[in-house]
Amino acid sequence: MDFYDILFWILSVMAVGCALGVVLSRNPIHSVIFLILTFFAISGHYLIMNAQFLAIVNIIVYAGAIMVLFLYILMLMNLNADAEPQKGLLVQIAGILSGGTLFLVLLAATKSAHNEEINKVSTNVGLITNLGKLLFTKYVLPFEISSVLFLTAMIGAIVIGKKEPQLKNGEEHIA
Amino acid sequence: MNEIGLSQVLFVSCALFFIGIYGFLTRRNMITMLMSVELILNSVNINFIAFNKYLFAHKLDGLFFTLFIITIAAAEASVAIAIIINLYRNYHTIDVEEVDTMKF
Amino acid sequence: MNAIIEATIYGVFLMLLGLMWQERKLIWAISIIPACLSGYFFITSAAGTHEHEITARVFFILTQLLLATTIERKYASIVTKVLFIALLVGNIYEIKIHNNVPELLFNNMLRIEPSSLWFNLLMTGAAFIYIMLMNKDIQKVGNYVAEYFSLIFFILCGLYLLSSYNNLLMMFIGIEILSIPQYILAGSDKHNLKSSEASLKYFLMGAFSTGILLMGIALLYGAAHTFNIMEMVGMLHSNALDPLAITGILFIIIAFSFKVSAAPMHMWTPDVYDGAPTVFTAFMATVGKSAAFFAFIRLFHFSFYDLSEHWILIIACITCATLFIGNITAVFQQSIKRMLAYSSIAQAGFMLFALLAYRPMGMQSIIFYATAYSIATIGMFAVLVKVKDYTYDGFNGLAKKEPLLAFVATIFLFSLAGIPLTGGFMAKYFVLLGVMQHGDMLWLVLFALLMAAISVFYYFRVIMAMYFKQGSPEMNSQVTLYDKVMLLVTCLVVLLLGIVPQFFMLPG
Repeated sequence: MDFYDILFWILSVMAVGCALGVVLSRNPIHSVIFLILTFFAISGHYLIMNAQFLAIVNIIVYAGAIMVLFLYILMLMNLNADAEPQKGLLVQIAGILSGGTLFLVLLAATKSAHNEEINKVSTNVGLITNLGKLLFTKYVLPFEISSVLFLTAMIGAIVIGKKEPQLKNGEEHIA
Repeated sequence: MNEIGLSQVLFVSCALFFIGIYGFLTRRNMITMLMSVELILNSVNINFIAFNKYLFAHKLDGLFFTLFIITIAAAEASVAIAIIINLYRNYHTIDVEEVDTMKF
Repeated sequence: MNAIIEATIYGVFLMLLGLMWQERKLIWAISIIPACLSGYFFITSAAGTHEHEITARVFFILTQLLLATTIERKYASIVTKVLFIALLVGNIYEIKIHNNVPELLFNNMLRIEPSSLWFNLLMTGAAFIYIMLMNKDIQKVGNYVAEYFSLIFFILCGLYLLSSYNNLLMMFIGIEILSIPQYILAGSDKHNLKSSEASLKYFLMGAFSTGILLMGIALLYGAAHTFNIMEMVGMLHSNALDPLAITGILFIIIAFSFKVSAAPMHMWTPDVYDGAPTVFTAFMATVGKSAAFFAFIRLFHFSFYDLSEHWILIIACITCATLFIGNITAVFQQSIKRMLAYSSIAQAGFMLFALLAYRPMGMQSIIFYATAYSIATIGMFAVLVKVKDYTYDGFNGLAKKEPLLAFVATIFLFSLAGIPLTGGFMAKYFVLLGVMQHGDMLWLVLFALLMAAISVFYYFRVIMAMYFKQGSPEMNSQVTLYDKVMLLVTCLVVLLLGIVPQFFMLPG
């Protein structure tokens, strides 16, 4: 066991434990905080696996943007109460069964994966220079096309999120 | 240099995937369901990076797929938040079980 | 390729039209940027490549469109019609200049083939008919008319990507570009509870299935070492298949079943199609679904064709279940809109047959089926939006009040049920013919025929209500001469599909 092994197992335990915290805690705010911790642990994994740039992006985008958005929404709607009712036992069992089946299938599949030696030649392969070069040559089309996706998301946020002035908001409760 | 093989990393990613699916199926809070989806996406990301590193470290295909997943997940999350805000304005709840005006 | 760029730019244009036509001076100032870029790329294209020339053209069009956004917002629908005609012309032009050889673009990201171009053209045609029929009703949904049209263009952009992707990354991005506008359109009727709910359900299911799709792609990547769907063929061998690959294919099947609403992953479909504004349901259930189907079949017929022994039985079971659930549940529906939602599940069952067929036939038949189904369904929805009450009773006596509406609705329903002389009959004939070539799939064909017979029951219930029951249906809006002409044209297309199908088949 060297340093990397120990680090890997610590990060793994942290990731899985915090992920369990996300789905098991009753309070949505706690879930968000657990999820942020999970993202940090996963970023640690990325660092171990030589994907330095992605580790940073993961933290900036997920922990920095998406999770802050979630927190903001939860606080805006004042939903930090623990009051979420649980689903029935049947649903829980169904959840465990279906998730567990997929888990077993995946586990069986990945067990067979080639357990090759780690390639030590290119430890800086995930650095930003290499990524940037490829991004603007080989991956230029997906890079440009994903801008369409962002435009769509922008339009969507405006079309759905914006209040419409001529109708009274908040007064139309369930009929 | 170290003993961590591909299967250990894949095990972690499988566990996260399972937790995400379990959370998606059992939670009733829309925000938590979204968080479960993010967990699933992250488990996929780990997979991509692990395959990229252990099987063909000289290429960067897996890293790029992860990069695009992260960006697209951000776009999806913004749409999701808009949908949830709109729903909250109409229903005053984010519990999916209460959002059921349509019955068979 | 041109089509993708065109659709994107038109969408952006409409978005700008919606957002900021007041800010004219700002736009005039901004439009200098694309003008300069256009000039730069044009100069470099002399020494550079074909791609530079495309880019130059893109920026040139963008400049023009930016300047055009300074016209007023209320012209959005007219502008959309004009842009759609331009898009159709662009598609036809692309087929004309294409020389029947697969063309690889942008470092093998796209592979444009005759079949993709033909699918693009027919689906653009269906979308054009949709825009012409539903134009007025789209404007009634909400305040953001220009944005709705731009989202429709973005959906088409996703469709063009899905018809020509050569890399799983492009497939993923294409599916996202196809789906995200659909989530938004489903929720566009903001003050309607059902619409918000539909949008939420669609989003949650869509995001979940995307997660599963990505897991499938990741596992496949582990087994095949590539994202290129052509290189993948050489990496996967049927007799020594990696368990990773089998699991990956299984996950991809599950995810696509969600996207095309095949049983047992169809649960979201009725609620979403019922809750979304009717005009947008018409688009989602036809063009959106067909694009997902085309991507599904493209992947499985290009990459996994030689592995078919591993997945063909799963697909056969899914087909069987989809046909059964779609048709049987549709019989018990009280609302025509919900019945059409279930019927779209049933039709998805027939489209899955194209996946089971042998190679050239499968692609051929999905293109034809998608066209016939899309046009008939769009027509039926166009009739539906005119009527206020969506239950069967709401259609009582429609033949007396609006004879033409009832007549065209009958033709559309005939086509959906697969009565001879309509497009639906030829479509069903082609998909079933493709599977007949497999000797051992005969049971499935017989089952499909039985289910088609059941489907006649619920389609004819609408016709019975219109012609043989008394009542005076309330109309949502006046049926103008324009509507009548457009409906008759649509009707003619449906009949042409049935009478001269070779005209709509992939040439060559």
